[in-house]
Amino acid sequence: MKKLLTVAAALLFSVLVFAQAYTGGIKGTVVSRAGRVPVSGAEMVLSQDGRQLAEITSGSEGQFLIEGLADGVYQLKVTADEFSDLTVFVTVDKGFVKDLIFVSLTPSASIQEADESNYAEFDMEDSGYSDAPTLLLGSNDVYTNIAGFGFSSIRFKNRGYNSETQDVYLAGVKMNDAITGYSPFSLWSGLNEAMRSKDTTIGLETADAGLGGFNGVTDIHAVPLSVRTGWRFSALSNSALYRMRLMASYASGENNGWSYAFNASLRVGGNDWIEGVYYRSLAYYFGVTKRLDDAGKLTLFTFATPGQRGAQNASTQEVYDLMGDNMYNSNWGYQDGKVRNSRVRHTFEPVTVLKYEYAPEDIPLTANATLLWRTGYNGYTALDWYDAMDPRPDYYRNLPSYYYMEDEDYNRVNQDKYDWTYYAWTHRGPEYNNYQHLNWDRLYNVNYNNPDGRSKYALEERHVDQNDLQFAANAKYRVSEDLVVKGGVDLRANRTENYKKMNDLLGGQYFLNIDSFAERDFAANEALLQNDLNYYLAHGTAEKIKKGGKYGYDYLAQIRVADLWGNASYKLGALTANLGAKVGVTAFWRDGLVRKGLFAGANPDGSHIYTTDINGLQVDLTNLSNGQTSYGKSEKAKFLTYAAKASVAYDLFGNSRVSANVGFFNDAPTFNNSFISPRTRNTIVGNLTTQKTLSADVNYQIASEWVSARVTGFYTKIMDQTDVMSFYDDSQQSFTNFAMTGIDQRHMGVELGVKVPLPLKGLSISGVVSLGEYIYTSTPHMVQTVDNSAEVVRDDEVTYWQQHPVYVPVSYTADGVPVFDENLDGSFKVDHYQKHYVPSTPQFASELALNYRTNSYWFFELNGQYFDRAYLDMNPLYRTTFAARGSESNPAVIDYLAGQEKFAPAFLLNASAGKSWSIQRKYYLGFSLNVNNILNNRNVKTGGYEQTRLISSVGKDRYYRFDPKYFYMQGANYMLNIYFRF
Amino acid sequence: MKKTVIALFALVALVSCQSLKEEFQPVFTVKYSNPPAYERTVPATTHTISQLVSKYIPEKPMVINEDIVISGIVSTTDQPGNFYKSFFIQDETGGIEIKVGKNSLYNDYLPGQRVSVLCRDLTLGMYGYKTGNYGGMGMAQIGFSDPSGTYETSYLESQMIIDDHIFRGDVEGLVTPQVVTAASQLPDPKTATQATHPLVGSLVTIKGLKYAGETFVLLYLDSTKDKKSGTNRVFLSDSNGLGKFGKTHGITTWAMSENKMKEHLLAGDWDDAEVASGSEYLLDEEGKHVTLGHPMLKGDGSYPGVEKAAYSVSQYFTLGGTSVQVRTSGFCKFADVEIDPAVLKGEKTISVTGVINLYQGSIQITVNSLDDFVVE
Repeated sequence: MKKLLTVAAALLFSVLVFAQAYTGGIKGTVVSRAGRVPVSGAEMVLSQDGRQLAEITSGSEGQFLIEGLADGVYQLKVTADEFSDLTVFVTVDKGFVKDLIFVSLTPSASIQEADESNYAEFDMEDSGYSDAPTLLLGSNDVYTNIAGFGFSSIRFKNRGYNSETQDVYLAGVKMNDAITGYSPFSLWSGLNEAMRSKDTTIGLETADAGLGGFNGVTDIHAVPLSVRTGWRFSALSNSALYRMRLMASYASGENNGWSYAFNASLRVGGNDWIEGVYYRSLAYYFGVTKRLDDAGKLTLFTFATPGQRGAQNASTQEVYDLMGDNMYNSNWGYQDGKVRNSRVRHTFEPVTVLKYEYAPEDIPLTANATLLWRTGYNGYTALDWYDAMDPRPDYYRNLPSYYYMEDEDYNRVNQDKYDWTYYAWTHRGPEYNNYQHLNWDRLYNVNYNNPDGRSKYALEERHVDQNDLQFAANAKYRVSEDLVVKGGVDLRANRTENYKKMNDLLGGQYFLNIDSFAERDFAANEALLQNDLNYYLAHGTAEKIKKGGKYGYDYLAQIRVADLWGNASYKLGALTANLGAKVGVTAFWRDGLVRKGLFAGANPDGSHIYTTDINGLQVDLTNLSNGQTSYGKSEKAKFLTYAAKASVAYDLFGNSRVSANVGFFNDAPTFNNSFISPRTRNTIVGNLTTQKTLSADVNYQIASEWVSARVTGFYTKIMDQTDVMSFYDDSQQSFTNFAMTGIDQRHMGVELGVKVPLPLKGLSISGVVSLGEYIYTSTPHMVQTVDNSAEVVRDDEVTYWQQHPVYVPVSYTADGVPVFDENLDGSFKVDHYQKHYVPSTPQFASELALNYRTNSYWFFELNGQYFDRAYLDMNPLYRTTFAARGSESNPAVIDYLAGQEKFAPAFLLNASAGKSWSIQRKYYLGFSLNVNNILNNRNVKTGGYEQTRLISSVGKDRYYRFDPKYFYMQGANYMLNIYFRF
Repeated sequence: MKKTVIALFALVALVSCQSLKEEFQPVFTVKYSNPPAYERTVPATTHTISQLVSKYIPEKPMVINEDIVISGIVSTTDQPGNFYKSFFIQDETGGIEIKVGKNSLYNDYLPGQRVSVLCRDLTLGMYGYKTGNYGGMGMAQIGFSDPSGTYETSYLESQMIIDDHIFRGDVEGLVTPQVVTAASQLPDPKTATQATHPLVGSLVTIKGLKYAGETFVLLYLDSTKDKKSGTNRVFLSDSNGLGKFGKTHGITTWAMSENKMKEHLLAGDWDDAEVASGSEYLLDEEGKHVTLGHPMLKGDGSYPGVEKAAYSVSQYFTLGGTSVQVRTSGFCKFADVEIDPAVLKGEKTISVTGVINLYQGSIQITVNSLDDFVVE
């Protein structure tokens, strides 16, 4: 009887595509991968070569049937609430109805709510480091599905790769940031519904949108037809990100050739753990598609996420211990009794896209052409001060350790001052707030004290405002049943203005546009202090900056990219081979919009610029610039880029497959790593060259009734990377720039994902393991320059970057001084060499999860995660022979300075539960609840960096480090989401 | 169903208003009001500066364990950079330096503002005292204890110490300098202190100062290394490195920024100056004294063995036969200002307004700004 009912239901949830006499078809049952529970109401879209043929919804038992299909390859896309989208390719052959048996969807209630805002904005201050998270979302791959979202709390980077290695496409256009290369998820953060539909590849796999690199491709469709039809409302509350998110979306589906969709959300509030962090962000998306004829569709859509968010910064462990809180954030303080964050990102970067899709019925061809324009602003506030005390509460001179340390060699011996300062940090109450947090009231009062209204403290807003125009066209042509070729062209013109804007004068009337660092060294010549020399020469005085005015620096990053790519895929029986290549040109230059006094250069006609100094003597500013200039166009950096990929895959019995990929990439360096000091001058890093990457992987996948699994071994060698850092160097007593070239890395390891249904229906167990070794493999070259001078102050190798020698004492003197064994030539005997690791991600990550899903649409998951072998970001200064002063007599100095901190391993326990209701098969209501870090572990380091400062010993015979700064994972937190759809 | 949906959404909104953290404070993100100006109050004064300094015994810095409060008007500013991390206050009996230990103090302690100091737990000490025939008095200061023994006092530095001991009152008006026209008005640097002479530590205008044709500078080969070692020190003084310029060493500015120092160095102005201190000398491989012009320091002419940095300069003047040093910091904004050639030639005298300091038995004057030099 039950079987009969099932067949009857199947007839209800079936569709006949072609009325003519085709007998082929596709049938199956949509089930959850976790426990094989049927998924009813799943929406399926069948298409072939880009043309949509049918839409169908799965029945109450998950069943579906599509009939009337001619022989051929079809694409079936399945979407359902709380599951990742799934696209499967089905071959109908010899007029038979292909029985897929099970179409397994991967539960992803949490993933659907995840976006870039899952990652708190880490304020790296002026450390010179960067921290860009990577997101792996929307994949049905067992491993990626868990590692992508499940490991986000520890800021896991898959295979140790940086954000810029992950290619992210939107409607066929590569969206990685033109300046930094970072994946740009923040552009559509909060638009989860509009951006939900996507294709993802992992590792070296290619995609339809582009050849891709070695860290996968995410291609977000973003067109109205990819948005789930109907209305959807959701409300999300959580304690780790923003406080609340409200979201609404609607998609019309296709109606008389038109379709449209919108998505809007509001994210507000702070979180439970990090004070001062907050969101106040809107997000909107609107798109419309018109079918022009049987083959063509034209889509126009636009979106943006206007708003602001407060950032957290890192502090030293001393500060965290003093505050008794590893989530202390020194960015905020009280202003007239109200909490105010000094580091706030203000963004409004609308993206507008025009896309034409072409899929003729009579040719197995799909083609797309997309024009994309990104504009708007992206500002990030920071305190600025001139000739005034450093206002940061956790500035090192405000800490107890500045006054007393047990080791007398630090020459910090004043216990009384330590006690006073310790008291100020460790007592709670309003009277101590000004020692523990920013004292906004004092900043205002200092400004009030200046009778002419000159602000000594102000809030600047550092802008990176992009105008990004891109055109991408790609086509895919099925030459035969066995051969598919695809290719495309990508063109990009990016013009990004970098400048500072006055956000708030903090009670003052104006801020003077001069370089306070320069003033210390060049006080005798006012012209040299000018941030805008042209203004000074025209007016005889520095510009007084009012609220909203530009100051400091102002330059354009001009970037041009042209790429051509192609790929061919050939199938021979169970064997599939793939070959692809890309060639292109990247060019960029800096265009200075203001002339800085220190790097005046010459007039456009080549004549020199003169001024008079404090003694009335004429000074040739052009000669002082020493051939460097801040104004006008720099020389163009041009690079020929290319890439090649090859892969083979062999389908084995039992729905398993083995595959291997290999690729070589010759990529241009990014703009932000190509100029020594882009804020001050046009000078390009010496010996700038392309980054070369060789990558390969071998995979085994199985997707059977009893197990879904993938295991991959990978090897990647990245060569000739460049990195530019700017930081204050005590040895130079100045702000300096550190350009490192020739950085090589090697990433190799294995990753495993497996999911196994257990005998109890609805119950399954899953697990992932990522085990790698990501290390540095070269000794880079470094050139250090002072911001205020064209002079090179250091030109050397970063000797201990790749590794450092470790010496083990053989004995100790009576005074406790270590004694080391020596070689015959008098050098010390090396015990071993310690490798240095690529930082900021665990090199061992694992999860074991138990999933339970009932027929009544309840789901539960409990998982445990274990992370290990994460390392702290390294400061190159500590790895130079200069910093290792004193190692001639005490080789242990090298180990002390060059050693890399390894974070302690971490265990996390997380749980989630949810339920959905279908009401009259018309309304859908559901909720999900995630509770993360149930054990409330607040000692998990997720990142940080070494400070670039040195402490000289009493005898000036060696250096000590400054304490590093860390970011910690938040304690126990929840995310509750409910949605209503119809 | 409508009620159910509304109830669930209301639940989420309600949950969002809760916090797991007791002291959670929402960030105010609309428009902040300007905080009010600070209200100023100072404790009642118990001692004059003179009375306080009279408690000092040379070479015996003392931690004050009484509730002594002194009060005065701020007479200096560190804005042009010639005072560093401290300021002077002055009452009718004299002036004293408060060693605060923060930069840009003029933003918080305005010239002309009343400042009171609660001296309990602070240290009264002296800088520049030296015994013997070539010694004399230094300057009594208020600071904090210095367990390292380097100086008699250290900076207060810790913000809580500062807030608990230094109190700001109203701005009452700039201090009027006392005028000195004769050497007899000047304190005896061998014996005077703020306790015995009202001009010590006070703002004065000394008129009729005549250039003495002599400068003093102490250079270091590497300031990150031991600054007390004779192998790291170079005295540009009357006994060393006279070279082509004699006792002036070619220095015609009030001080030297890094660039000005570099100019002199690269011009070879100081090639004859030996690296030495007392009886300790830097020697070359042959055991000879090393001068700045020695190949091991001069190299190819770029002087790789000598650190280029800003330096303070003492320019010597006289008033009726009494030597007065005008000491100026290399980091001040007028460091590289040329002294009027007519003054250098002795054709003109100058008047200088600044704070009188005593250092090892000599008189120094430290100005606030370039305007404090007036060619007569």
